[in-house]
Amino acid sequence: MSFPVSRRAFVAGATALPFLRIEGARAVTPGVLTFGLSSFPPSIKPFANTGTAAATVKLMIYRGLLSYGKDGLLRGELAESWAPDGQTAWVFKLRDAVFQNGEKVTSADVKWTIEQIADEKSTAFFRKEMQGVAAVETPDDKTVRIVTREPNVTIPRLMASYHLPIISRASDGGEPVGAGPFRIAASERGVSIELEAFDRFFKPGLPKLKGIKAVAYKDENLRVAALQAGDVDLIEYVPWQSMEAISNDPALVLDTTDGPFMFLVFNGAKRPFDDARVRRAVAHAIRREDIVKAAFYGRGSTLEHLPIAPESEFFNPEFKNAWNYDPELSKKLLADAGLGGGFTCTLLSTAQYGMHKNTAEVVQQYLMAVGINAQLNLPDWATRVSLGNKGQYDIAVMGTAADSNDPDGLSNFIDGTLAPSYVRSHGLKIPRLTELLAAGRTEFDTEKRKAIYKEMEKVALEEVPIAGLSWRSQGYAMRKGVSGFKNLPGALTFYSGTTFEETSIA
Amino acid sequence: MERRDLHRLAVPLAVVGGIVALAAAAPLLPLADPVHIEVSARLTPPSEGHWLGQDEYGRDVLSRAIWGARASLAVSFLAAAIAGIAGTALGLLGGYFRGVVEILTVRSAEAVLCFPPLLLALLVVTLLGPGAGTLIVALSILYAPSYARVAYAETLAARNLDYVVAQEALGARSGRILLRTVLPNVAPPLLVQFSLTVASAMVLESGLSFLGLGVVPPEPSWGLMIRGARSTMDQAPWLLLWPCLALTGTIVALNMLCDALRDVLDPRGRTVSANPFRAFVSGLLPATEPAPAPPALLRVDGLHLAIGHGPGALPAVRDVSLAVAPGETLAVVGESGSGKTLTGLAILGLLPPVVRVTGGRILYTGRDGTTVDLARLGEPALRRLRGDELSMVFQDPSASLNPVHRVGDQVAETIRAHRDLSAAEARRRAVALLDRVGLPDAARRARAYPHELSGGQRQRAVIAAAIANGPRLLIADEPTTALDVTIQAQILELMAGLKAQAGGMGLIFVTHNLAVVSEIADRVVVMYVGEVVEEGPVAEVFGSPRHPYTAALVASVPEGDDDRLSAIPGVVPPLHDLPAGCRFAPRCGLAEPACTAGAPALESLGGGRSTRCRRWREVA
Amino acid sequence: MLGYAVRRSVVALGLVWVVATLVFLVIHLIPGDPAELLLSQGGFAPDPAAVAELRTQLGLDRPLPVQYGSYIGGLLHGDLGHSLLDEHPVAEEIALRLPRTLELIAAAALLAVVFGLPLGTLAALRAGGPADRALSVLAGVSMSVPVFVVGTLVVLVFAQKLRWVSAGGFTPFSRDPLEHLALLAMPAATIALGLAAVVFRMTRSSILEVLGRDYVRTAMAKGVAPLRIVVHHVIRNALIPVVTVLALHLGTLLGGTVLVEYVFNWPGLSGYLVNAVEARDYPEVMGIVLVISVLFVLLNLAVDLLYALLDPRVRHA
Repeated sequence: MSFPVSRRAFVAGATALPFLRIEGARAVTPGVLTFGLSSFPPSIKPFANTGTAAATVKLMIYRGLLSYGKDGLLRGELAESWAPDGQTAWVFKLRDAVFQNGEKVTSADVKWTIEQIADEKSTAFFRKEMQGVAAVETPDDKTVRIVTREPNVTIPRLMASYHLPIISRASDGGEPVGAGPFRIAASERGVSIELEAFDRFFKPGLPKLKGIKAVAYKDENLRVAALQAGDVDLIEYVPWQSMEAISNDPALVLDTTDGPFMFLVFNGAKRPFDDARVRRAVAHAIRREDIVKAAFYGRGSTLEHLPIAPESEFFNPEFKNAWNYDPELSKKLLADAGLGGGFTCTLLSTAQYGMHKNTAEVVQQYLMAVGINAQLNLPDWATRVSLGNKGQYDIAVMGTAADSNDPDGLSNFIDGTLAPSYVRSHGLKIPRLTELLAAGRTEFDTEKRKAIYKEMEKVALEEVPIAGLSWRSQGYAMRKGVSGFKNLPGALTFYSGTTFEETSIA
Repeated sequence: MERRDLHRLAVPLAVVGGIVALAAAAPLLPLADPVHIEVSARLTPPSEGHWLGQDEYGRDVLSRAIWGARASLAVSFLAAAIAGIAGTALGLLGGYFRGVVEILTVRSAEAVLCFPPLLLALLVVTLLGPGAGTLIVALSILYAPSYARVAYAETLAARNLDYVVAQEALGARSGRILLRTVLPNVAPPLLVQFSLTVASAMVLESGLSFLGLGVVPPEPSWGLMIRGARSTMDQAPWLLLWPCLALTGTIVALNMLCDALRDVLDPRGRTVSANPFRAFVSGLLPATEPAPAPPALLRVDGLHLAIGHGPGALPAVRDVSLAVAPGETLAVVGESGSGKTLTGLAILGLLPPVVRVTGGRILYTGRDGTTVDLARLGEPALRRLRGDELSMVFQDPSASLNPVHRVGDQVAETIRAHRDLSAAEARRRAVALLDRVGLPDAARRARAYPHELSGGQRQRAVIAAAIANGPRLLIADEPTTALDVTIQAQILELMAGLKAQAGGMGLIFVTHNLAVVSEIADRVVVMYVGEVVEEGPVAEVFGSPRHPYTAALVASVPEGDDDRLSAIPGVVPPLHDLPAGCRFAPRCGLAEPACTAGAPALESLGGGRSTRCRRWREVA
Repeated sequence: MLGYAVRRSVVALGLVWVVATLVFLVIHLIPGDPAELLLSQGGFAPDPAAVAELRTQLGLDRPLPVQYGSYIGGLLHGDLGHSLLDEHPVAEEIALRLPRTLELIAAAALLAVVFGLPLGTLAALRAGGPADRALSVLAGVSMSVPVFVVGTLVVLVFAQKLRWVSAGGFTPFSRDPLEHLALLAMPAATIALGLAAVVFRMTRSSILEVLGRDYVRTAMAKGVAPLRIVVHHVIRNALIPVVTVLALHLGTLLGGTVLVEYVFNWPGLSGYLVNAVEARDYPEVMGIVLVISVLFVLLNLAVDLLYALLDPRVRHA
């Protein structure tokens, strides 16, 4: 990595020549990429969800049966092929690969992995899903047959998740060992993680990098400054206000996708948001362009329906503007619900993350315009999660990404029969939605699935289990010399860490 | 000084008052709605409709800055006030009652200081939820201990004041003493603390808002505005400028107000005007015609001193003339405010900066035989004389000695300032000098700090420093006043002895104690409100005064006692309102209309005596 | 003197215990559950059974008095506990980060004194003059511009535009002493800006007060040179209140450098504390608070010793 300017000069300058610059003072290891993380992973556990920063690191050191390609489509990873076997089983054929401890990747490791996740003492993200697996059969070393209790079309997507890497059963009790392209060489808690290439990675010629140094830059301004100053080669979570400057910088490349989305959830357990008309009134009251502009500096797009991406085969163009900005309709709906005189409620968000705060401020202004006086409550994120889980709010701002581009990912946000959670409306059970989501999950025929999800969205547009606000642009930025790294499309943006195996640096 | 105080306070008060008034008047001003968003016009530069531009939501920045002042000022003023009341109460109670109460109040308040302030804020905000109210609570908790500390220390000091002790002895209730007597005494430093806290709270408000722990949006505050503007620094740097300017301006004004307040309220703060270093830059007098006859040692000719400048200057010393011959002791006598001390300081060129020589000469003939006018001598030349040929001993020996340096070193300092000696040699001489002024075990005492010596011993040390270089003229300004009676006698004896040893040393002894004068002086000059009223040999002047004031002074000395002058009817007139004619006439039993018509001149009576009284023949 | 020191230490230990207990109670009282939070990262909903399991594993399902008892028990064995997030020993992390924060504070204090003290003295000697007025306004400005603005500007100028230094971060001294110092200089200077203003103001008023003392006039009457009077008689006496205030400020900086650490990516104790509170990592919060309280108490002791050094009256009291 070329580095035109010196940092020694600062000290040298203080004593001798103020504008002296010494070339190449910083030790640069060729082939090692410096990556600016938005936060340091709180912990890296293969099966638990500990955030997107941890996910990126997990994608460097572990591999699952499947993964997503740059086109966003499923592809084989440790498995070279997969296919359903009847209504309740999936068969995966493994390829030749070794774990970082030198052990071969076998069907027994897959079985062991799934058992770990489904264990009673497990804290895994897919604990419940893997408890729905009836049996993992291993006819031979290279074949895995996963039998589910109910038909489940989403098994391949689960197997591609970064929460489901295959771990060597030889690592039982010790440090989990995966089959990824890099391994952790050193780590300074809260500061940086140094990774080195795994020389026996199963894909020939990969990884191209000798290593990665992931450094946490919590302050987004500083993260951008570090990229512009040449301290790092690549950053994640490009702040929206900096995107224009970066795309105008000839030395830098900006790679964005509209993946994650912002939405409102409601407290459906009490008045007035137990009334679908009031929820619809909210959905029609907000001018989404202003959220895109004010919270995301124009980097995103409006979301006036359920968060199904326009590129998805399940996208329904006729619903595109179903929740359009229509304050008159909004007022009418409120009047129909007997709230024509307006009312006061709380609007929960968090001051810890700017996008949540900014979105809440815009929403508040537009609700005011239709007579809803929403009092902002902006505690820290931990409190906000706790209040959300307990349903101590009327409306709350949320922002997240689905775990895949498949519409079943929406269950997480709109299925009221799931355990109470801050990511979905509180105490809002809409039986018809639950039925349709279940049907979609068990239907293997794509056309029939499309019909099911279209019906589901239609119901959702009436019932408003959540109110979509905006897609937000999720960006990576890198120096021109970085190639092979790709921001995966849509909801898969947090899977972009997969492409580090192909990344190289000039 | 009252009007001058007001003048000093006026500017900062006006600025702070203006900011507060602007904030308070926000609802009445024709401002845009500070929370109304207009996203299409976001980050617009200043325009006709929006003088300071529009922020990241297109809200009017001017309106937000003014409304934001309400939150920022309310939070900081209220927090400072609540912390002030709570902390002061704790400090007062702890300092007054001591013991268990002190542990329960002051010490437990200090436990708060153990918390990292940010953690405290984080916990309070997380517990109570963010918002202006929470911020006030958090900041109050944060600042109360420092008030408690200040109040505690001041109360400890005030508690031992005579009148507090007296009230206790009279059985006054503690609460009453605390509120009526102690509190007013400790108020000035607390008021200063208040303004410091307000400034600090405003900075903290912005820091906490940055962390999302401050005021809840969309209500504006300066901190929130800075937080918001930081992320758009590239696109709209001016958004950062306005709130920073508002914050800076307010804090600078508050600092100024606090400085002025301290000067006005805290008597110790008045030292600004007593800064001696400013005398270095004060201008010299125009040259006058050559002196008639050079004096053998010192002659002051028609000296005029004024306090302050311009038309408001007060004539503190007027037309004072006196002379000292080698080996002679001249006493200068008068009440406080008679100008006797200023005259002494003028000789050494140590006048406070507000006092200027406005006329006359101070002729001095040095060791080398040349005569100089000390009133016109430059500071470097004066400095060479001070401590060498001219020396001075001040009233309070405890204050004259620097508490952090050893006594011997302070004596040696005089020697080394004028003689090129090694430190060891100077120290050796200092020990010899201390021995000479009668300090027992001088070698050991030389290594002692001033607080380890008694009052009399300290004055001996001060005298040792003054005579270290064998001065030709020693000015002693009430050197025994701060000492108790038996010590006074010893010091006088010492000075008389030293003078006898030194031979040619002249001594000017400034005092209000007539008994001392008759004991030590050859001649006496009596001063009254800045003028010499009578002069002559001590025995003659005291034996048969030729001025009613001298007569009254002599009469007021109680038999067998050597204490204060008293019992002269009437009061000393203030300098800014001197009576026309004879200054003493309003208090004089002999005054007649002619006395108030024109000022009497100093009249020579022969035999070295003179008086400033028209009717001196009638003075009994 | 020894008895006094022992008595003070006992009171101080009691104080630290009270602080620790208070923090323990409050941190458990505020909303937010570390297990739930850890598994809810990135806006995903965790399986409640997984959260319950994690709570059990972390011992968070035990009654509060039991948790308190086991924490105090651990403390008595010199064990500060482990992070709830990744079981990392708290003591180890503090040992790593405390020196960095101390270094930052020390460097800032040094800069603040180097600039604040002479300028404060100058302003006092020229009180009311143009230099005094200009410096006072300057002090007001540097006091009031928030560190996160100054810090961002410093990064913009020195890292992005001039490219003299990295945009924040930390390099161990052993790896590259020059880069270490360069990276230290930016945050230290940012803290020092506000601190120097405080030192300046304190010094100015303190010197003014000392200048009016009799012993200064006495020194002048002795014919001592002005420079020697300032250095020898004025500054040392004026320093006593300055030291008190500076020490108090340094004490609050122990946990208060968070904004600067954030803006410059300085991996010190304050940023760690904020992370710990945000993640509700109880043992980490407790450990840091304990260490800071103990340091604060030690700092106060050190200040008393410094007093004795500066003021012989205290030494012999």
